[in-house]
Amino acid sequence: MYKESVIKIKDLSKKFKGFELNIPSLDIPKGFATALIGENGAGKSTFINILAGIRLDYKGTIDYFNGEKDEQLIRENTGYTGPGNYFMPHWTIPQIASASGLLFEKFDKDKFYDICNMLGIEISGIKKNKKGFNKLSDGMKMKVILANVFARETKMLLLDEPASPLDPLMRDKLCQMIREYIEKGDGENSVFFSTHNITDMENVTDYAIIMEKGKIVEQGFSEDLKEKYILVKGDNEDADIAKNILFSFQKSSYGFEGLCLAEDAGKLAGLNISKEVPGLSQISIAVMKKYTKLA
Amino acid sequence: MRIMQNSGIPIYQQIAGQFQEDILSGKLKQGEYLPSIRGLAKDLRISVITTMKAYEELEKNGLVTAVQGKGYYVNAQDSEMLREQHIRKMEEYLINAISAAKIANVSNSELIDILKMLIETEENA
Repeated sequence: MYKESVIKIKDLSKKFKGFELNIPSLDIPKGFATALIGENGAGKSTFINILAGIRLDYKGTIDYFNGEKDEQLIRENTGYTGPGNYFMPHWTIPQIASASGLLFEKFDKDKFYDICNMLGIEISGIKKNKKGFNKLSDGMKMKVILANVFARETKMLLLDEPASPLDPLMRDKLCQMIREYIEKGDGENSVFFSTHNITDMENVTDYAIIMEKGKIVEQGFSEDLKEKYILVKGDNEDADIAKNILFSFQKSSYGFEGLCLAEDAGKLAGLNISKEVPGLSQISIAVMKKYTKLA
Repeated sequence: MRIMQNSGIPIYQQIAGQFQEDILSGKLKQGEYLPSIRGLAKDLRISVITTMKAYEELEKNGLVTAVQGKGYYVNAQDSEMLREQHIRKMEEYLINAISAAKIANVSNSELIDILKMLIETEENA
């Protein structure tokens, strides 16, 4: 059921001075929400920019929508949002709506205003709003950008840090918008978003890809990752033994805790420990820490 | 359906458990379809993969059958299997009671006495 991919990547690489993005192979599952998790500078934006066709100076092949070759069709079916100001700074919201209508065939102006309204942008104010886009706050800008992309009929969304400028209430709304988008597609709509703060997006993440220093260090369906690792807590008298077995390890004066690979759990037999299912954010942090240290 | 985020029980198990109850109690009848995976994820505000895992769990236990492109429908429940399921549940609760008794330092014979007493009060109620 989840064997199909919306994007297939082979031998992708992009070199900068002192940094290299290198992805030998990656399939992004179709019909799901996939999170790209990593610290600042891990290469998330570079990767999304390549996927979105903003950056073309890379090596490797990217296949969209199961072999679709028609670039116009790929563009029409893909929505992208990012941190850049890609609307003209002086454009007002009605001008943004008109321009998007010209750029994309399946842009629904009424839906755009509906979503703006739903996100708390004063609808009566919008139509005669003389305020240029660059005069809006960061959170307001992101709301307009999101409304703009969700107002289009698409099959895939590439969202670069969509939650960052939003307050907790809006992040929750964004999660629900993603779920509605996925539901509407009935297995055909996919979302790929990056985040450095997975906690807010945990309940919408189906597949997680963790990136460190330009490389993918862990990936999988969130339910599978939660079975791959076990959260272990114990007393300090067992800390030295546990330290050598655990995948990640942290000690305080009250005891230790860390993640253990499920396959290694047997080695902890005899220790007085408690076990829990870890959250995606706990897994991400442990994995990121591990690979930051190695590099 | 009630989902608890911090109960310690994985969300997929909570979902599977509640559907199992509805099926075994007859609230969901043979041949009825479960809600769509993505629709349920949206309504419960959780990820798609979690609902998918819950449905797979139900399928593994023989309670539902997946039909490609149509979803999951409720299987006919034979009474022997129903009984089996209830017995398993009963055992699970009894094991919980035993471990609580251990913590509270209640002896085995005391525990059995309490059980007998509870059965009597239930019957007289």
